[in-house]
Amino acid sequence: MRATERITLAPAYVLHQHDWRESSRVVEIFSREYGRLGLVARGARRASSPWRAMLRPFQPLLLSWVGGGELGTLTGVEAAGAPCVLGGQALLGGFYMNELLLRFLSRQDPHPGLFGHYADGLGRLMQETSVALRVFEKRLLAAAGYGLILEREAVTGQPVESGALYRYELERGPVRVREVSAHGLYVTGDMLLALAGEDLRQREQVLTARRLLRAVLDRHLEGRPLKTRAVMREFGKMGV
Amino acid sequence: MAYTPLLQQLMDALRCLPGVGPKSAQRMAFHLLERNREGAMALAGALEAAVSGVRHCERCRMFTDKPLCEICASARRDASVLCVVETPVDVYAIESATGFRGRYFVLMGHLSPLDGIGPQELGLGQLEACLAEGGIAELILATNPTVEGEATAYYVAELARAHGIRTTRIAHGVPLGGELEFVDGGTLSHAFSGRQDVH
Repeated sequence: MRATERITLAPAYVLHQHDWRESSRVVEIFSREYGRLGLVARGARRASSPWRAMLRPFQPLLLSWVGGGELGTLTGVEAAGAPCVLGGQALLGGFYMNELLLRFLSRQDPHPGLFGHYADGLGRLMQETSVALRVFEKRLLAAAGYGLILEREAVTGQPVESGALYRYELERGPVRVREVSAHGLYVTGDMLLALAGEDLRQREQVLTARRLLRAVLDRHLEGRPLKTRAVMREFGKMGV
Repeated sequence: MAYTPLLQQLMDALRCLPGVGPKSAQRMAFHLLERNREGAMALAGALEAAVSGVRHCERCRMFTDKPLCEICASARRDASVLCVVETPVDVYAIESATGFRGRYFVLMGHLSPLDGIGPQELGLGQLEACLAEGGIAELILATNPTVEGEATAYYVAELARAHGIRTTRIAHGVPLGGELEFVDGGTLSHAFSGRQDVH
């Protein structure tokens, strides 16, 4: 972005924000045309600020800002629709999606397609949280350049068959095997095809897809675990 | 000209206050030294006494200088109603604006999954122990209407449910004296979904 660029009413979501100085906030946003950006929202914490109620995650927004250096300065906020009202597990899922975007996208790297997938994923969270998250993870990996090989075998290039068993090798893809041995990540052809077609229906498929996607995500997270995942685990521990 | 070491030290110390930059710190330091040395001594004494004497109430974590805060120690408060808030300031706000006669539990923050602040970091085990003791008939959630406050409320509500305690949540909606036209969409949609029968 050039130093003096002025952006008007760009579709965006707030991913995260933290307080800055006395009355301002730094918001980390994901915009359709400009990707992930950091913006200073001056005076956003004042009681009189009209931005206060709107600048929240999961609310579709139209943002205006002036670019310059590492952080831009927010100049306008408008709602672009009704907020996506998330509760319970779906809300935690929303935080998780935001953290994935913060970790996998670098600033000022546009991903218009992924923006649509994010909006779509938020909409689905309330119905089937776990399926919505798996589909979003798959699409995010593809957008970040780490797309999964799901429909072809790694070595032979043969199409994956629904009745067959595969060992998923993270560097290469699915390798057809006869039986499960001690080590490795084993998945069924059914699950691979269901994930490829984004049509995870059976509980077993959702669980295996989760295991596979987690292994792939972890590989790209380079040993720095996701914070939301740890918090979700704690929720689980207390029986919540 | 450089400040003397003691003056510099005072100005640096003043800057730990919110909103105090180098210029305001200088103004405050010069004011105290030039015009109000007595006030400065009183301030120093009060600061020291407060920092060493004020602690958290053993039951609700409110600021107090005794083991139990005034509200928890009072026999006239209704121990069967517990209001959960994020910060001590919230307690003062509710006390001065409402006729609430129950007790409080101060979370001292909110869950923030993206910052890695989960139930354990927030010390919610203490709240759970408090609920497990029994004697609470209603838990009122008064966390802030932010997404983090929402996540916190969800967690606390689930804890209360596990102990069979009725949970209510303060209403979200249009501010008094406000005009619908100027209320933001999020608040208005909350107000609509939380509408009530007219009695």
